[in-house]
Amino acid sequence: MTSSLVRQALILAALALLPGVGEAIYFRHKISWQSAIPPSELVTVAQAHAWGENVIWVDARPDEEFARDHVPGALSLNEDRWNELLPQFLAAWSPGRKIVVYCSSLSCNASREIARRLRKQAQLPDVFVLEGGWEAWLKSK
Amino acid sequence: MSGPSTLNVQLSTRPQFPSRIVDVIVAGIFIYSGAIKALDPVQFASDIDNYKIVPWPVSVVLAFYLPWLEIFCGIALIMRRLYLGGLSILAALISVFIIATVAAKVRGLDITCGCFGHASKNWSFSTHLGLDLVLLGLVIFLLRARGQNSAASER
Repeated sequence: MTSSLVRQALILAALALLPGVGEAIYFRHKISWQSAIPPSELVTVAQAHAWGENVIWVDARPDEEFARDHVPGALSLNEDRWNELLPQFLAAWSPGRKIVVYCSSLSCNASREIARRLRKQAQLPDVFVLEGGWEAWLKSK
Repeated sequence: MSGPSTLNVQLSTRPQFPSRIVDVIVAGIFIYSGAIKALDPVQFASDIDNYKIVPWPVSVVLAFYLPWLEIFCGIALIMRRLYLGGLSILAALISVFIIATVAAKVRGLDITCGCFGHASKNWSFSTHLGLDLVLLGLVIFLLRARGQNSAASER
C-alpha cells in the first residue's frame, strides 16, 4: 500500500508540474525571479529626495506607527483601512507626481502590497517602493 | 453468478456515502483555492514570501507549482483515481501550512495566508488555523475510511 501511495503521489506531483511550467513561461515577464520588488520599482531615499516636490509619500504602516511619526507630508494608506483611506489619497494625488510607498524596514511587505494595489486596483503610474523603508528614512536624516 | 461473499466484497469496496460527501467537499475547497491562486501567481508568490521561510525565487517556483498540485489532488479525490496519493499530498500540504502559520505567529509576522486569494485577506490567525485544522481532520477521516475499506475488501 505504501509503494502504491508513493507512486500515486509522484504521478500527481509530476502532472502538476506541466501546467506549473506553462504558467511560469506565460508569466515570465510579469514577475521578477531575483527579488520580490523589481529594481525598476525600488527607489532610495536619496533618489526620492532628488524628485523634490514631485513626490507624494505614502505611509503603509499601521495607524499607530503613522501617528507616532512619519515622513513630513506623507499620507497614511494601509491594508487595514484601504477602502477608507484610498479616496483621501486619490484626492491629494495629481497626474505626473511620483508615488513613494514605505513601511517599517527592508523586511516588511506592506509597502510592496500597497504599491501593487495602487498600480493594479487604482491604476496609478509611477508607483515606487522606498528601499529600506522608514528605517532608511530615519538613517538619512 | 455472484455469491454472497462476492457481493460483500463489492459493497465494502464501494465508497461509503459520508466519505464520498467529504471527498467532494475537500476536493471542492482545494480546486477552488488552487484555481484562485493559479489565476494570480504573482500575488501568491508575495503571500508565500510574507512567511519569510523560503527565499524569493523559491516562493515564485512554489507559487507556480502549488496551486496546480492542489487542483490535481482535488480532481484525484473526485475522480477516485490516484486517490491515496492525492490524500497524502493534501495531508502533507495542510500540515506544512499549519506549521508555517504557527511559526509566523510565533515570530510576530503579520501575514495574509493567501489561501483563498483576496477572500481570505482579512482572516484572523485563529480563523486561518481553524480552517486548516478542520481540513486536516477531514483528510485524515478520508484516509482512515479508505484504510478500513481496503481492509474489509481484503477479508
